[in-house]
Amino acid sequence: MTDRIGIPEWTAMLRRAAALIRENQDVLSRLDSCGGDGDHGTTMARAMNLVEKTLNEAACGSLAALFRDIGWAIMGVDGGATGPLFGSLFLAMADAAESNVEGDTLDTAALASLLEAGLAGIQKHTRARVGDKTMIDALTPATAALVQAATEDFTVRQALQRAADAAHQGAASTVALQARFGRAKNLGEKSKGTEDPGARSVALIFQGFSDGLCKET
Amino acid sequence: MPMKKFINQPDQLAKELLEGFVLANAKLVALEGHDLVVRATPKPQDKVALVTLGGSGHEPALSGFVGEGMLDISVPGNIFSAPGPPRVIEALRKANRDAGVLLVVLNHEGDVLCANMVMEMAAREGLNVKQILTHEDISAGTRKDPKDRRGLVGCLSVIKMAGAAAEQGRSLDEVLSVAERVERNMATLAVAVSSATHPATGEPISQIGDNEMVVGMGQHGEAGGGTYELKSADETARIMTEPLLKDLGVEAGEELLVMINGVGSTTLMELYLVLRQVEKNLGKGNIKMVRSLAGEYLTVQEMGGFQMCFTRMDRELIELWDAPCASPALTVR
Repeated sequence: MTDRIGIPEWTAMLRRAAALIRENQDVLSRLDSCGGDGDHGTTMARAMNLVEKTLNEAACGSLAALFRDIGWAIMGVDGGATGPLFGSLFLAMADAAESNVEGDTLDTAALASLLEAGLAGIQKHTRARVGDKTMIDALTPATAALVQAATEDFTVRQALQRAADAAHQGAASTVALQARFGRAKNLGEKSKGTEDPGARSVALIFQGFSDGLCKET
Repeated sequence: MPMKKFINQPDQLAKELLEGFVLANAKLVALEGHDLVVRATPKPQDKVALVTLGGSGHEPALSGFVGEGMLDISVPGNIFSAPGPPRVIEALRKANRDAGVLLVVLNHEGDVLCANMVMEMAAREGLNVKQILTHEDISAGTRKDPKDRRGLVGCLSVIKMAGAAAEQGRSLDEVLSVAERVERNMATLAVAVSSATHPATGEPISQIGDNEMVVGMGQHGEAGGGTYELKSADETARIMTEPLLKDLGVEAGEELLVMINGVGSTTLMELYLVLRQVEKNLGKGNIKMVRSLAGEYLTVQEMGGFQMCFTRMDRELIELWDAPCASPALTVR
């Protein structure tokens, strides 16, 4: 059995991620009410509805086309910074997937490459880095875990599990941090003590990817 | 105090609000495409078009600034949220012309993030667009390093004067030059006495004590300044005028446009009192209040307080400020 994932696997992964976000919509909004408008959960749920809609309407195109459609759909969620940030993750993955020619499927190394491109894509548009109490605090360790898993020859399944764990840890680490971005940054010291909702969303998404792939087989 | 607003379902709020707004201003604005607010009578194609983006909930801003002599298109987002890139690029494609397009962006994270992405897309598509960022709130950052300075009601100054320049048939570079000149010659400071509630959640967006006023409050409830005991109109006017003059480096003999912008529940009566004292204070320093506005132009739901904006004027800017315009928020004959 070749350990590669393609459109059918990604479809299951994305659906599971969307479901997890929707299940946790209230939690995410509550986390956002400390420093933000309290609408992060609602915005992410709307974004995931758009992801589902895109998956339902997807033509039998390439992985790159799927990521591009997903990214563009998320961009259109009209929810402040959330749409552009999560949207640009998928758009950058789409650009990277264009050059992936191996039967439109990804092994662990290719998956890691894709997420590295996705992370770089977001970081082109924001100065946020690890320690700033944002989604980057979860996405960076998740990506690093994939890269590490590739060097250690882990399967895609194993790699995604490690990425999900790393994302959870990264999100948990934001509790002690002071916000440097978003409306929360105006709170200064008072922004410490709760998890960043964007980081939690990333953790849930990676959990969804991992669970969705395991269920697929 | 629990929120008491006449709304329906929160998730339909922005859409329904736009429908009502357009009905109320049917001679001036219309809706096109994916909820883009456009002029009812479009501008001739040989003139520069002005486009903006921003969250709803600040009525009449920003869509109320669409009209002859002002904006051509506004892309409204959900309450207090920037719209996404797809609708903004749709607006730029719609506005695009050989004469060019000026995109006016207020410095708030979501708006800037969206605008930067859209400008990249516009460049790839070969659209003729230039961008101006407004960031005149003096409560954060410095003039030299303004990245933390928010864009508040000063956008109206920029839009009115750049809009007039566009109606005159000036080139995109000239219109941008006017916009930039206004931007670097304006300063705003806000004060808040009571919080607004977010209509979708019903929750207050800031916490202000009963006898307090917060100077430097942002237009989504962001803090950024000092908390004082509530003062009189005259004293508050003085407390705010001084740092504004200092930041702008206004000297004796200069002329200012003064805007006292109510943010939602402060009465017109109070705005007039503040304006009166500002004029006196300026006069003591031999600074002339050559033009003024007092009213609600960019609100924050039912927040109590106001934004005080000074723009340094010259002959040309006064002429542009006096030029006719017709928009829901402002009409000059």
